[in-house]
Amino acid sequence: MIEVTYSRHSDPRIAARLCADALRARQPDLLLVFCGGKLDPETVMVVLKESLSDVPVVGGASAGGITRQGIGYSGLELVVIAFSGWVTPRILIEEMAPDEVTAGERLGRRVADLASEDAAVLLLYDSVASRPPLRLHPASQIVSGFHAGLSDRQVRLFGGGLLTDMNLSDGWVLDGDRVRHHLAVALVFPPEIEVVCEILHGCRPVSTFMEITRIDGADVYELDGEPALVVIERMLGLQLGESQGQELSLLATLGQKQGDPFAPYDENAYVNRLILRASPSNGSVTLFEPDFFTGAQVQIMARDNSLMLESVRHGVASLREAVREDDNQLALYIDCAGRASARSGAFREEAEMVVKGLDLPVPFAGFYSGVEIAPFQGYSRPLDWTGVLAILRRRPR
Amino acid sequence: MNVMPQSGKAGQLERELAYYRRECNMLGARLLSLQEEQSQAFREARRSRTVAKLIREAYRLIDHSTSPEALGGPMLAILLDNTMCDRAALLREDRPGSGHFTVTHALGLGGELPAPVSLPATPGFFFTTSRSRIEPPAYELTAILRLPYILWAYDATSGLALILGNQSESNVSRPFEEADQEIVEGALSVYIDILLRKRAEVEMREARRMAEEASSTRSRFLATLTHELRTPLNAIIGFSEMMATGSTFNPTPEQIGQYNTHILTSANHLLALINEILDYSSLARGRTSLSLRWARLEDMVQESLGAATAFAAERGISLGSQLGEEPLWLKVDRTRFRQILDNLLSNAIRFTPAGGKVRVEVAPEAEGIRLCVRDTGIGMLAEDIPRALEPFQQLDNKFSRSSPGTGLGLPIARGLVRAHGGELTIESARDAGTCVWISLPEEALHRGAAPPSAKP
Repeated sequence: MIEVTYSRHSDPRIAARLCADALRARQPDLLLVFCGGKLDPETVMVVLKESLSDVPVVGGASAGGITRQGIGYSGLELVVIAFSGWVTPRILIEEMAPDEVTAGERLGRRVADLASEDAAVLLLYDSVASRPPLRLHPASQIVSGFHAGLSDRQVRLFGGGLLTDMNLSDGWVLDGDRVRHHLAVALVFPPEIEVVCEILHGCRPVSTFMEITRIDGADVYELDGEPALVVIERMLGLQLGESQGQELSLLATLGQKQGDPFAPYDENAYVNRLILRASPSNGSVTLFEPDFFTGAQVQIMARDNSLMLESVRHGVASLREAVREDDNQLALYIDCAGRASARSGAFREEAEMVVKGLDLPVPFAGFYSGVEIAPFQGYSRPLDWTGVLAILRRRPR
Repeated sequence: MNVMPQSGKAGQLERELAYYRRECNMLGARLLSLQEEQSQAFREARRSRTVAKLIREAYRLIDHSTSPEALGGPMLAILLDNTMCDRAALLREDRPGSGHFTVTHALGLGGELPAPVSLPATPGFFFTTSRSRIEPPAYELTAILRLPYILWAYDATSGLALILGNQSESNVSRPFEEADQEIVEGALSVYIDILLRKRAEVEMREARRMAEEASSTRSRFLATLTHELRTPLNAIIGFSEMMATGSTFNPTPEQIGQYNTHILTSANHLLALINEILDYSSLARGRTSLSLRWARLEDMVQESLGAATAFAAERGISLGSQLGEEPLWLKVDRTRFRQILDNLLSNAIRFTPAGGKVRVEVAPEAEGIRLCVRDTGIGMLAEDIPRALEPFQQLDNKFSRSSPGTGLGLPIARGLVRAHGGELTIESARDAGTCVWISLPEEALHRGAAPPSAKP
C-alpha cells in the first residue's frame, strides 16, 4: 500500500505530526519525504520516526510540494509518501566522493546487483554542491556514471535533484536516519512494479543552430566563434554586464536537438540546459550541466509559458489514457522549480493542471526539483525546465 | 526566364539562407523578448497583488490563533509565501527608542532564533543590494538573518520591526528597491494591527470572564449571606415565638433558660457575622482606615496566642511561637493586626485534629518581614487554595461541618494585610498542614529594643 499525506506549517513538529497522523498505516515500512527547505529536517525526521515506529525516512529537501491536498512553494510544505508491504522499494545510498561520476558508477553497480531487468529506479540527490560561487552536483555525471556501473543491465531510471528553494540556496538528503549532504539515493522498486514516464516540456527554439566552438565543463565560452554571452545578450536585447547574470536562468536556455536536426519541431526531441550564471569578464555562460561539448549544435531556447501549459495538457492526457486501465500504485511528479508560476510568470500553476488533469484513483505526490531525470530516447538523461510525471504501476503479466 | 549559372544559384541560395537565418534569429529574439515581457508583467502583477493577498490571509489569522504571541509564526509563513523570500523575522525593541531588539519569531533559520541585536540608529525602512556598503546599519541588519540582501521596516510607536532576506539578489525576485517599502511596511502594519486586535480580543475575553466570575461570586455571596443570616435569625424567632405571650407551647422555666441561651448565642453569632460582613465590605471598597503605630511583634503574638489558648485547649491543640531573639517592631494598626492573627489562629485551630500543633513563626527577610501561622492540620489541595480566600467558600471537610465559622475570616485577614501594604499567601498540601504567610514591607519593620523615635 502507498499513502500520501501533505501539510504546510511553520512549525516542523506540527507539520510532521499532521502528516504522520493522517496516515492510516501506523507501521509503514518506509517513508519517502519531500521536506520544504524552511522546515528543520532534523525535527521533521524525529517526529516522523517517533510517530511511526522508527520507520526509515528517505528523501530530502524540496522547494515545494505538490499533492491533491495542496500545492505550494513557500518552503513550509511537507509531503510524505508511506510504503507498506510488497510495493516498498529497497534503498541504496552513495556519497558523492571523490566525484559524481564515481558515485554514480558505484550506485549503478549496486543497483545492477539488486534490481530486476527493467526495474523502476528513483534517483534523488542534493543539487547544490557548494556556494558561493554556486556549484551544482552535475546530474549528467551521476547518471553517466550510473549507466556505466549498470553495464548491460537495463533499468528505468527517473528522479530529480533536491533543493531547499528556488534560489538554489541549499539541498540535503534524508538517508533513512540522518540529514546529509552530497549524497545520492536510489529507490529500487520490486520487479512487480514498473514505471511509465511522461516528460512535460515548455521551451521552444528561438534561434538557428549554433555551434559550440569553445566549452570547458559547464562553461560555454563561444558560440559560432563569438563570446557566448555576447550572442545571448544580442538575442535578448539586453546587457547583462552590470548584473550577476543569474536572472538568465529566468530567460533562456540552450537546447540540443536529438536525432534529425531538420525534422519538424518536436518538444520531445530537445534536451535543455538552464543557464546558471553569466561571467561578463570572460564572456562565458555556465550551464546547469556539463554534458554539452565542442562541436555540439545548439539553439537558444525561450521558455514559453503557453507552450508549457499546452505540453502539460497533452502530456497528462496522453499518460492518463496510457495507464487508465492499469493497477496504478503511485503518481510522482518531479517538477522543475522554475516552472512554478511565481518564477516562470505563467498565468496558471502548471502543477495544479497536472494534479487536476490526472484524475485517476491513484495516490499523487510531487515536489519542486532542481534537475529532472527521465528515460529519454532509450537512455535516462537529466533534463532542465521539465516536469517528469511518473506512474508506478503493477507490471502487466 | 532568367537562368542563373550554378555558382550564381549557390550564391543566391547562400544569401537566401543568410537572410532566413537573420530573420529567424530576429523573430526569435522578438519572441523571446515578448515572452519575457509577458512573464515580467505577470510577476509584477503578482507582486502588486501581494499586499492585498497578504492582508486577506493575515486577517484570517486572528480567528485561528489562540494568543497574540502565536500570530508571529503564521504571519511570517504568509509573508514568505507571498514575497518569495528566503528568510524572515519579527523583532521587538526592548525599550522604546533603545535600538536593542529581540527577535520574537523567525522563519527559514532552522528553528533557532537569532541573537538580540543593537542598532546604532534604527531606520524606519532599509534595504541592501549588491551595491550596498557593509557598514551600519547594513552590517547589523544583514547579520540578523545571516543573508546579504535584506528588506527592513520598523514602527517606532509599537517598537516592532520586520526583516525579510534573500540569499541571492535576483533570481525569483528582483533586487530589493525603494518600491518595496510598500510591501514591507504594509506587512508590518498588518502584523501590528492584527496583533493589537488579538490583544484587544484576549483582554475583552478576559474582562468578560472576570465580569462573569464577579457576577457569579456576587450571586454566590448573596445566596450564602442570606443563608448565614437566616440560620441564627430562625433560631432567634423560633425560640422567641415559643416563649411569647399566647404561645401554645408552655416551656418550663428550665427550657426558658435554655431558649434564652440559644437566642443569645444566635444573636451574638449574628452580630459577629454582620460585623465581619461590614468589615469585609469596607475592605473590599478600600475604605478601611488604619491607625498605624509601632507595636512590638512579640506582644501582639502573645496576646493573640493567649486569647486562643482556651479554644485550643478545648480542642486538644498545643500552641507555640518562634519569634527569634531580636526584638521586632511592626508599624501596624494594632487592633487590626490582632484581628488578622486571631483569625488565622482560629482557622488553624479549627482545621487541626486533636493532638496537633499551631505555631506562629517569624522569617525576617532581606527586605521586610514574613510571619507565618503554621499548623499540622488537614491541609488542602493546591487547587482549593484560591477558593479558600474567597468569601463564604469554606472547603467541605469534617472540621468545617463540626465547627462552622463565618467563612469570612481568611478574606478579611487578606484584606487587612493588603491594607497594611503586605500580602497574604497560603502554602498547603492535603494532610500535610497549612502555613499562612503574612508579608509586610521593609518600611513596616524595625529591629531593636525600642521603637523608632520618629513620629509614626
